[in-house]
Amino acid sequence: MEIQVEYREAATVVRIVGNVDGLTAETLLAELQARVGEGHVRLVGDLSEVEYTSSAGLRALLSVLRDARRGGGDLRLAAVHPPVLKILELSGFTTILKLYDDVDGAVASFAN
Amino acid sequence: MSFSRQTTCLATPSSLAVLLAFLDEASREAGLVGEVAFAVRLAGEEACTNVINHAYHGQEPGPISLQLRCEPGQVHLVVEDRAPLFPPEDAPLPDLSSDWENRREGGLGWHLIRQVMDEVRHEPLAGGGNRLELVKRLAAN
Repeated sequence: MEIQVEYREAATVVRIVGNVDGLTAETLLAELQARVGEGHVRLVGDLSEVEYTSSAGLRALLSVLRDARRGGGDLRLAAVHPPVLKILELSGFTTILKLYDDVDGAVASFAN
Repeated sequence: MSFSRQTTCLATPSSLAVLLAFLDEASREAGLVGEVAFAVRLAGEEACTNVINHAYHGQEPGPISLQLRCEPGQVHLVVEDRAPLFPPEDAPLPDLSSDWENRREGGLGWHLIRQVMDEVRHEPLAGGGNRLELVKRLAAN
């Protein structure tokens, strides 16, 4: 898994490339928490290159979602592939996470 | 279609990479694709993670054995350990509906296993341990 960070005016975009599983979720969690710790609490997770997540990935997302919202921001997801979306739905995460079709839409949602 | 691959290692966190690589390779060799490959990877990871993180709690880690077996019309994933008996129904129920501040995380792994696989069978192993057999039925073409 690779993580690329892009700072935009309205939000920080974190592009995740590869599987989010028990081997990589800790790295993702640390990276996202570091951004929140720097004050970048408006986060967009670009999942356009993620084809798989397990419950380990969900736990990381929930933890960062909490940190970001407690800091006055949010974690919003963009471009979620159907298999990953299915896992989010089965786990009840689509009721607490905001999802967008693409990164630009997710970033724009923070500007509104 | 007849296919079977098996691996055994010590149920420690560092073994997860070996077990996931085994799952990916065996799944590829078996020709699994799409939803079935996804389900096998997910159920396999969750089951192995449960054994590694919880099964040998409070004692020295023991073995974990993972087998992928394909039969006509269905795929079997078998996970065995030598840990104290733990029927899946004893796992905590997942919290799927609390708000983001109060959402509890336990039980998600078992929940996902039940959702993506068609059958979850558990039985005690002779001499101690658990045998978990997960079945995924293949859609008829």
